Amino acid sequence: MAYEIKLEHRTAQIELLNRAGSKVLLAVDDRKYELDIVMVEKGVYSILYHGHSYNVELIEGESSKEYIVNTFARSFIAEIIDAETRYQQNRKLGTKAEGDNNISSPMSGKVVKIPVSAGDKVTTGQTLIVVEAMKMQSEFKATADRTVREILVKEGDIVNAHQVMIKLE
Amino acid sequence: MIRKVLIANRGEIAIRVMRSCRELGLVTVGVYSEADRKSMHVRYADEAYFIGPAPSRESYLNIDNIIEAAKKSGADAIHPGYGFLSENAAFSDRCKQEGIIFIGPSAYSIATMGDKIMARQTMTKAGIPVVPGTTKKITDENMALEIAGQIGFPLMIKASAGGGGKGMRLVRDYHDMIPSFLTAKSEAMNAFGNDSVYIEKYIESPHHIEFQILADRQGNVIHLFERECSIQRRHQKVIEETPSPLMTPELRDEMGKFAIAAAKAVNYESAGTIEFIVSDALEYYFLEMNTRLQVEHPITERVVGVDLVKEQINIANGLPLTFRQEELRQNGHAIQCRIYAEDTDHNFMPQPGVVTHITVPLGLGVRYDGYVYEGYEIPMYYDPLISKLISWGKTRPESIARMRRALYEYKITGVKTNIKFLERIMDIPDFIGGKYNTHFIEQNHDRLFAPKLCGTECEDMAMIACFIDYLDKIEKIQPQKFTEEFASTWKDFGRKRNVLRL
Repeated sequence: MAYEIKLEHRTAQIELLNRAGSKVLLAVDDRKYELDIVMVEKGVYSILYHGHSYNVELIEGESSKEYIVNTFARSFIAEIIDAETRYQQNRKLGTKAEGDNNISSPMSGKVVKIPVSAGDKVTTGQTLIVVEAMKMQSEFKATADRTVREILVKEGDIVNAHQVMIKLE
Repeated sequence: MIRKVLIANRGEIAIRVMRSCRELGLVTVGVYSEADRKSMHVRYADEAYFIGPAPSRESYLNIDNIIEAAKKSGADAIHPGYGFLSENAAFSDRCKQEGIIFIGPSAYSIATMGDKIMARQTMTKAGIPVVPGTTKKITDENMALEIAGQIGFPLMIKASAGGGGKGMRLVRDYHDMIPSFLTAKSEAMNAFGNDSVYIEKYIESPHHIEFQILADRQGNVIHLFERECSIQRRHQKVIEETPSPLMTPELRDEMGKFAIAAAKAVNYESAGTIEFIVSDALEYYFLEMNTRLQVEHPITERVVGVDLVKEQINIANGLPLTFRQEELRQNGHAIQCRIYAEDTDHNFMPQPGVVTHITVPLGLGVRYDGYVYEGYEIPMYYDPLISKLISWGKTRPESIARMRRALYEYKITGVKTNIKFLERIMDIPDFIGGKYNTHFIEQNHDRLFAPKLCGTECEDMAMIACFIDYLDKIEKIQPQKFTEEFASTWKDFGRKRNVLRL
């Protein structure tokens, strides 16, 4: 069965053609890969392909279909798109694309300040919320002129990584 | 004599202090907040007491709760580590009132050195060079211009109540003086509610060099040479080394003497550090004194061969120093890298989270001061420091090569760390050549932050790993049911065939 995987902004078709122990044959879009893949530590895969040794670390995201992937060179956000995800995406498409309209924090922390309230018109660069983690305060700013639709947290709240804090429209 | 020590701290430094206590045969008492029940320092201590909720203000900074834990445990001394209450004069005083030995300096030393202006005045009186400038409040524009004329450009306008880079303005020429003075004033007002500013000469391409000192109650003060701490990000040190590549034997002697004089000027006792700012032309000025054990103390221990915590305990017992200045030598070269849980690609944003796996480097010449373990969740309430990695070599190049090797072996998964970033620093020619100052990270920005290429093949590997992991995950959930059903159908069939002779 073929799946789709979204790696940052790139989406690819991926299919498992054959598997015997650690030896797998896969197709990613139109490229075929015959390689050896082993989970060497919890969440860490060692891949040998044409003599090259790759170490890939996976950190599971909010759902079992989301990952933060660290390769030697850089890290990515990845998502497996199966039938269920596609169905939900199609439903959302009917209404409107969200994404940029949600303000979330990349790390867990404590909300120290929310200088805006629901209904406010905000301009590009205006601070919407301040989150503190490990003695450092991070300001989250509007990337475009918008209106604050909903504020889902309050000052003093503890937020998890990637939790949506403010919705804009 | 001290018999039982409470360590009013957490993380790696609490363990560091407990190690020396253990070697001395002293009983160790840990304290912990709600967020730290599982922290390694609680597991390592002989006894541990709860001191309050997760935020530092309600636990590690709560003097009453810590004193209460000391009373309950019967500890006769408190070691404050660094950060938290270590430079709190009121805490030092309170311990004294309660009849508990504070392993550190007196409230007087802490208070004098803790106030910027008072420290400057005290040092000037003791004949120690401070950055040229004024500690008087600049009241109006004429006064600002007059003093600027005396000091010369470039200069810094600093907020008297300042800190953390706020209310600071660099002025390069005469025409910018008035506008900068006015903005600095209003910035200071906004940030600290106090608009007093003063003027200091700006040191171009400064080096940050500090001297470790030890002082006993008998009035003996010695220095344990310098540490070079110029590699910083967000005004925080990242890598320290000793000896400093900038240092000459004459300069070391001179600065060492001033460091001793500075400690004597405030009747210092225990371990302390005098920080200097040094220009490329080797002009040096007193910057501040840290009246505690420093994060980077291990490189001094490694090169000089002295356990600073044991010396602190010894001094707190009222005993004289165990060695004299002329017995001390710098042997080889040591480097320390601070390992932070942070995202170096996104403005060093801290990254709390669960450590899923950790492999710690070992081998000849490597020291590791850390506290996290597999499955441990690094809490969001405290500093992002995970550990300190210290390498020692006969020479500086050997020490660098060893650090590079140790960083290569060091693996932490689950949270983002700056390990890769540190590895890159070890390969930068300016670092290898020992030619760097506090601007190092910005000057080498392109090399340090260049996005490493992950081509199509590398991206595909990232996808493949996710895909295989996902497939195995769903297989683990589904086929179990499957096989059970299957097995039972076959069993059924066999039973039926035997019984019913189908």
